Amino acid sequence: MLGRRLGFAFSPHRVSDSSGNRHKVCDTDTFEAYAKFSGAKVTVSPIDWTWKTLTATVPELLCGDSAVQEATQILNFLRKQRFNADYELTARQGADTMAYIALLEEKLRPALLHTFWVDAENYANLTRPWFASRSPFPLNFLVPSRLANIALSRILLTKGEAPLHRITEVEGKIYSDAKECLNLLSYRLGTADYFFGNSPTSLDAFVFGFVAPLYKASLPSSPLQSHLKQLDNVTRFCDNVLAVYFSSDHPCPTPPVQETMDANLQKLTQLVNKESNLIEKMDDNLRSSPQHKPHRPEPKPSLASDKSSTPA
Amino acid sequence: YQPLKEDQILLSDCASSLAVQAYLRMCGLPVQVAYRANAEYMSPSGKIPFIHVGNQVVSELGPIVQFTKAKGHSLSDGLDDIQRAEMKAYMELVNNMLLTAELYIQWCDDATAAEISRPRYSSPYSWPLSNILAYQKQWEVRRKMNAIGWGGKTLEQVYEDVSQCCQALSQRLGTQPFFFNKQPTELDALVFGHLFTILTTRLTSTELAERIKSYSNLLSFCRRIEQTYFEDKTS
Repeated sequence: MLGRRLGFAFSPHRVSDSSGNRHKVCDTDTFEAYAKFSGAKVTVSPIDWTWKTLTATVPELLCGDSAVQEATQILNFLRKQRFNADYELTARQGADTMAYIALLEEKLRPALLHTFWVDAENYANLTRPWFASRSPFPLNFLVPSRLANIALSRILLTKGEAPLHRITEVEGKIYSDAKECLNLLSYRLGTADYFFGNSPTSLDAFVFGFVAPLYKASLPSSPLQSHLKQLDNVTRFCDNVLAVYFSSDHPCPTPPVQETMDANLQKLTQLVNKESNLIEKMDDNLRSSPQHKPHRPEPKPSLASDKSSTPA
Repeated sequence: YQPLKEDQILLSDCASSLAVQAYLRMCGLPVQVAYRANAEYMSPSGKIPFIHVGNQVVSELGPIVQFTKAKGHSLSDGLDDIQRAEMKAYMELVNNMLLTAELYIQWCDDATAAEISRPRYSSPYSWPLSNILAYQKQWEVRRKMNAIGWGGKTLEQVYEDVSQCCQALSQRLGTQPFFFNKQPTELDALVFGHLFTILTTRLTSTELAERIKSYSNLLSFCRRIEQTYFEDKTS
């Protein structure tokens, strides 16, 4: 979350053996964006136990006694708790949301994984130093390379079919799919501020989660990023969301449905979000790393975070 | 081309084949279905179904749609950009949810895998090839499920996902005859292929079919397409 105020956010390297790799950049950004849109107050708390990174999954939301993981489940959880940014959508728009999310997952995610993890130049210059710098030895060797392997195998398994067994052959296909996906998003967005009307919804959160890292990260080599920058309405959308919801100078705009929020204010004190620990770490890293300058001063992350709720 | 109909074919492949058949019929193109036990290996990409036209072989619905479009037959020309974006999004939804759920149920659910999938998949082959092929396929599908995160899901969660997908489709369809106004598109073909197959295939439990039946407009949609395009089909 703090990382996003610097213009990009990179996320979890808390990886579990089977499923953690999916909960990366995209999911955490998505979740945080959604939390902002719906007005839920989440506390970002860093986790200091870096060794736990090998077994836990992020993003993870703790509320009271229950822990919820996975972006979509967290969104469902928030909805049930009545922090709902989709309140005003019609049934058909809800269906459209599901469809577009599937499109993003299928077409855009492999290309993003490739850009950040498999492309040698990007990996060596950007991704690996980010993750490695915040982990103690020897994790800083293990974790990034493990994530890279997982990303590679995922791409090959889902996209590589005979005779496309090597990554180089799959690359062309996944990038053209991703460009097409970005174009489709651009058509759908048109000239509007958000995908459905004037207030953001979960689809906006998902799109933001996927597109923002690609847009803002300074990747040494990325044809996909250049393609994205040509789509003015999508980049405007990202900038807009960043400026409106992730700026520490302005408080978050009040969500439209006020009455459902009031009843839940008591719950805010119990809402603790652990998933952005990595964002915190990344943020610290970025503050100290020479090539990125923070835009504004960051509040110190709070370590003892059980019951306090601070505006995210 | 698809695997042997009575014995070998599995749910997900049958669904994909039916989708392609429906699409070709909607385009008004004559189509002949040939059954081969090794259809999977004949296909250029390893996936069924595939079509054989002249001296070209094209597999899977996406490429087949593009191929027919290049030949001058297309169902989605009348759509504007936004609608085309929606159509692609919904097709991905169906692929993501329904197809993956079908694969999961067939291969990751132990009961179904042992009773139905493995025996059917390997039925044209003799032992020990049959065992080897069946287990190899199962292992391959499970690897893929793990890679995309479905490995940890329970059957209930999968059913739940299918329900949500059907709900989205049902809401999108509403009371229209097809997903986009009055003309069928490849999305209609795809949805029909999957839903019809799920409704008419015998599995270890009927839960999946029951869930779909609860959406009446989807049921009538399937029936309508079946009557319009498949009335001369003997199945």
